[in-house]
Amino acid sequence: MIALLRSGFSTRRSRHGLWGVPLVIVVALVALLSVGTDQFASRENLFNLVAQATPLLIAAIGQLFVILVGGLDLSVGSVISFSTAILSLDGPAILLIPAVFVLAGLVGLINGLVITRLNVHPIIATLAMQYVLLGITRILRPVSGGEVPGVVISVVQGSFLGVPFPILWSLLAIGLAAKVLYGSRFGLHLFGIGGGVAAGMEDAARTYGIRVERNIVLAYVGCSLFAALAGVFLAGRIVSGDPNVGLLFELDTITAVAIGGTQLSGGIGSLHGTVLGAVIMALLANGMNLANVSPYVQTAIKGGLLLAIVGLQSRKKMGL
Amino acid sequence: MASPLLRRLAAVPPAYYVFGLLLLTLWIARPNMLNPNVLGIFIRQVVPLGILVLAQLLVMRVRSIDLSGGGIILLINYFITSRTFPEASGLTFFLMALAIGGAVGLLNGYMIAKRRVSAVIVTLAVSIILVGLVQFLSSGKPPGDVPKYMNEIFDIKYGPMPLPVLFWLGCTAAMWLLMQQSVYGRYVEAVGESAEAAAFSGVPVERTVVMAHVLAGLIAAVAALVQTGSIAVGSVRVGLDLPILAVAATILGGVVFGRGEGGVWGPFFGVLSFALLFVVMTVFGIDDAGKLIAQGLIILMAAMLYGWLGKRG
Repeated sequence: MIALLRSGFSTRRSRHGLWGVPLVIVVALVALLSVGTDQFASRENLFNLVAQATPLLIAAIGQLFVILVGGLDLSVGSVISFSTAILSLDGPAILLIPAVFVLAGLVGLINGLVITRLNVHPIIATLAMQYVLLGITRILRPVSGGEVPGVVISVVQGSFLGVPFPILWSLLAIGLAAKVLYGSRFGLHLFGIGGGVAAGMEDAARTYGIRVERNIVLAYVGCSLFAALAGVFLAGRIVSGDPNVGLLFELDTITAVAIGGTQLSGGIGSLHGTVLGAVIMALLANGMNLANVSPYVQTAIKGGLLLAIVGLQSRKKMGL
Repeated sequence: MASPLLRRLAAVPPAYYVFGLLLLTLWIARPNMLNPNVLGIFIRQVVPLGILVLAQLLVMRVRSIDLSGGGIILLINYFITSRTFPEASGLTFFLMALAIGGAVGLLNGYMIAKRRVSAVIVTLAVSIILVGLVQFLSSGKPPGDVPKYMNEIFDIKYGPMPLPVLFWLGCTAAMWLLMQQSVYGRYVEAVGESAEAAAFSGVPVERTVVMAHVLAGLIAAVAALVQTGSIAVGSVRVGLDLPILAVAATILGGVVFGRGEGGVWGPFFGVLSFALLFVVMTVFGIDDAGKLIAQGLIILMAAMLYGWLGKRG
């Protein structure tokens, strides 16, 4: 236990990254908000907080997959908007819900193949995908509206034995990701590939017999699937399709992952760090809302936070 | 690729083909639009983009990227139109714009070259901060009118040739000279080829990259002034999509991260292609959604072509 805790504060030896720092920040923020405001500790606000944090948490976990292999997915926000647009189409739930995941998987597959097979930089490939998806989303749903299947709304907004469903969604996503990252060969290979990329030896993992291309493609597919899951959750929350709901989500997820101690150069990072990062983002948003900070200023503060966090991570190579 | 001819043809920046193809499309569909006066008006509209592309190609040559141009344009546009400085003269605005652009560029360059932070993240974050700041200052409402003299300068024409287009040609030629003739141009080329090799050869790699970003910030400030001259009323959305379009036009023009086959004129034709593309899409009644998809596909296809060429040779 002590060894584990120590690893969270050490930059050496650990592949989990600096996750101890965000843990301290979470504790400090919770303490500050509980003492500083009356509303924070209320049951209502805490439920609200979880519901706000859940989509970011789910999407950030997806982003973690691609960041671990030294990539980046800028199409996350557009996949989220696209998913809500699909769900708000006319059609039976039994068709629409699988369609969301099949299409999202296809998006991830195209991202991954373009990056690995056609040698396109991840940022360019996913940026282009973002544009194409936003265009398709606006054709499907030019302005927010439409009806989301009732089953989606009831699994998002309900509660079981006093536990609101959003908590279950978060736990489910975390459990799934833990199994994939720490309980499968695929997860180990993600760390292996990213470690090589970060050290400037792109072929290191291949030398050890890891199928680099295939694992990278799967990482992008996983990222899109988690983004779609976040999209389904959001559709259930706002009860409609919205072409702008995913706006800037890609940056929020990157910020959450980076605050959680994950190195954007790949290979070093952790699921628990990412969860803490998403919680910090939600706590900040919640605290600023309670303090009546203008939403425009909140955007600027989030940008400043991202800048400060990545500024603290020094990389070996200069560039994108 | 078997024949050398085919290889030569594939090495020509896609912008020239796209430009030719769009010109042909327009000639077939709407021949009456192909007169100098009409085209001059359309090309004048993309001059801010054309100037911003000069910034983008410079930073992309050193394997970086600058997405903060939108924020710079928005902030400068806000200061000019909001009457925050009611007594300010044109010269004051000009100097203020350069100061803003230079400062943002310096911050970008420091973070990217010295702190080794991802260029995409830095410049996007800076852009978000600037946009948030402007929206806060203006409470999300359009700030006010553009000073008359700026619109008047923008409207000057010599025959069919609008002054902004001439200015753009001049800026592009200046950038071409900088890349071709100056020591700094050689440094940029060396860093783009390989930062490690350049460092071993005594090229000041970090300084070259910082300088590229400062220049990019200054160029974005000039683009902001031209953009402001092109509109009558200030806006809190002006120029936000320009950085991405600039990336697309640059790639289309044959400049990809570190590789500069397209030189300065390839991206120039990339911008002209976008000008024609908007005309063609308007002619065929394609809406904003279709434009987004087309932009995305163009970026993707140009990048794919270069990825494929890079793998071959």
